[in-house]
Amino acid sequence: MFSMGRKSRSGWEFSLFVIPAVIGVLFAFYIPFVMSMAYSLTEWNGINSNPDFIGFDNFRALLQDRNFLNASLFTLKYSILYIILVNVLAVLIALALDRPLKTRTALRAAFFVPYILSLVIVGFIWRFIFMQGFESLYEQTGWGIFQWSWLGENTLAFISVLLVSIWQSVGFYIVIYIAGLQSVPADVMEAAVVDGAGLVRRFFSVTLPLLAPSVTIAVFMALTNSIKIFDVILSLTAGGPGGSTVSVSYDIYRDTFQNNMYGYGTAKALVLFFAVMIITVVQLAYFKRREVES
Amino acid sequence: MKRGKIGLALLELFMIVSALVFLYPMFLVLINSFKTFGEVMRNVVALPEKLTLENYIYVWKFIDYPQLFLNNVIITVVGVAGIIALSSLAAYKLSRTGSRLSNILYLVCILPMLVPFQSIMITVLKLAKDMGLSDSTWGLGVIYWGFGVPLAVFIYHGFVKGIPRELDESAMIDGASSFRTFGTIILPLLKPVTTTVIIIDVMWIWNDFLLPLLMVNSSQSTKTLTLAAYTFVGQYNTDWQYAMTAMVMAVLPSIIVFMLLQKHIVKGVVAGAVKG
Repeated sequence: MFSMGRKSRSGWEFSLFVIPAVIGVLFAFYIPFVMSMAYSLTEWNGINSNPDFIGFDNFRALLQDRNFLNASLFTLKYSILYIILVNVLAVLIALALDRPLKTRTALRAAFFVPYILSLVIVGFIWRFIFMQGFESLYEQTGWGIFQWSWLGENTLAFISVLLVSIWQSVGFYIVIYIAGLQSVPADVMEAAVVDGAGLVRRFFSVTLPLLAPSVTIAVFMALTNSIKIFDVILSLTAGGPGGSTVSVSYDIYRDTFQNNMYGYGTAKALVLFFAVMIITVVQLAYFKRREVES
Repeated sequence: MKRGKIGLALLELFMIVSALVFLYPMFLVLINSFKTFGEVMRNVVALPEKLTLENYIYVWKFIDYPQLFLNNVIITVVGVAGIIALSSLAAYKLSRTGSRLSNILYLVCILPMLVPFQSIMITVLKLAKDMGLSDSTWGLGVIYWGFGVPLAVFIYHGFVKGIPRELDESAMIDGASSFRTFGTIILPLLKPVTTTVIIIDVMWIWNDFLLPLLMVNSSQSTKTLTLAAYTFVGQYNTDWQYAMTAMVMAVLPSIIVFMLLQKHIVKGVVAGAVKG
């Protein structure tokens, strides 16, 4: 049965099925990654075919780069707040939309719509709202909040970026939590009601623990998305005012493609790569352990 | 009981108002796309004085909308078709083969899911240029293959495990080749996951910005809808009425498709996330 001929035929088949996909990921990830390692040790303007080897100079320069430090702090602050706020908001809306409301299907769709839009366009939409829309709204309502310089002042611009990102993506997290809530068994809930547990108590002792798998997924997705933030910043604030909303991705983009420091940009990108790897692995390990415990 | 009903009605009212406020920015963009420059400047919140398509006709011609739309379609179709083909084949074989090599290759395929694109984009661009894939819509479609494979292989791999082996084994005994078995027996069974993968990848590629910006932004004839809207809004920074029109035109296809396939899209996105 398992003669040599049969075996080599199945080896052939295995290769034909698998090799194309492997070649795909090799060219998309592994080869560029190895190239990045090499180019990060060079000074390279992106055009010159012979970049100058400069050893670890890029990484040394990076340690003293205030822009990179500020961009890292921005990204960190943004990611933490984004992850917390988008998840809290999504859970609250999901809880409401899990109730037997007459318009729940339409409501779910309404909150989901921005998620299908391109992030760059979303940034532009809100730039228009903050700049032109708020002016008109101020004239109509007289509310001071519409008069604030939402894109012109450091803290407000930060909040704007956060707000717009949450607006675009909250619908995605809502549907994840709704799916999670539907798997909470009704009899467990009824038992809690019979035992006299109040609304808040029921949420923290029954619903939330049963939602744990959804929380893991949503936090993971929120983390991977927020750490890469780029598009919204490009079209909403362009990093401003005064570079206060420059994220790591945006900083890399600027140094590489606008300042033509390809070698240096590659070094920064590698730092981003390792930072993301470490954060992801730690986070996955942490949630795995928590889920097993509960 | 009665109190519960009133509470529910209040909650419903509150959620409807919230949803309207939530969608209000999109409504503002829509109404301002029909206005003249003067009307936008006077009052953003007011409805347009008359409904004319003048802005749309202007922008349509200026950005060559049909060409952009075609570009988007080519990139998305080439990209998604390739991802589906490569991933379903590989995931099926990897899932059915228990060898050490197979496990390693599976890891090689899915590990890049964790890699942020920005951390390798510079050398991806260099490699694509060297291979002659940049500055072409077809080339960009092909570039998406490698980036789409990890998540797609992961989703397919999990699903194939649930398909009984007896099905392929009996087909093999009947003398069907491995490819025949895959095409006639496995692929039809994979339909629900294929739908999920298509939805996730179409949404991603259709709206993607950074990769097209790096690869196909140099010529007007290869731009995508989002790229053209980005350039256009940059140029017409203060002509808000045209900027609004360009944005509506860029997002309208997605919104129409969403309204038609709402249920499938939401389900697909959830399925992709829960498995991914």
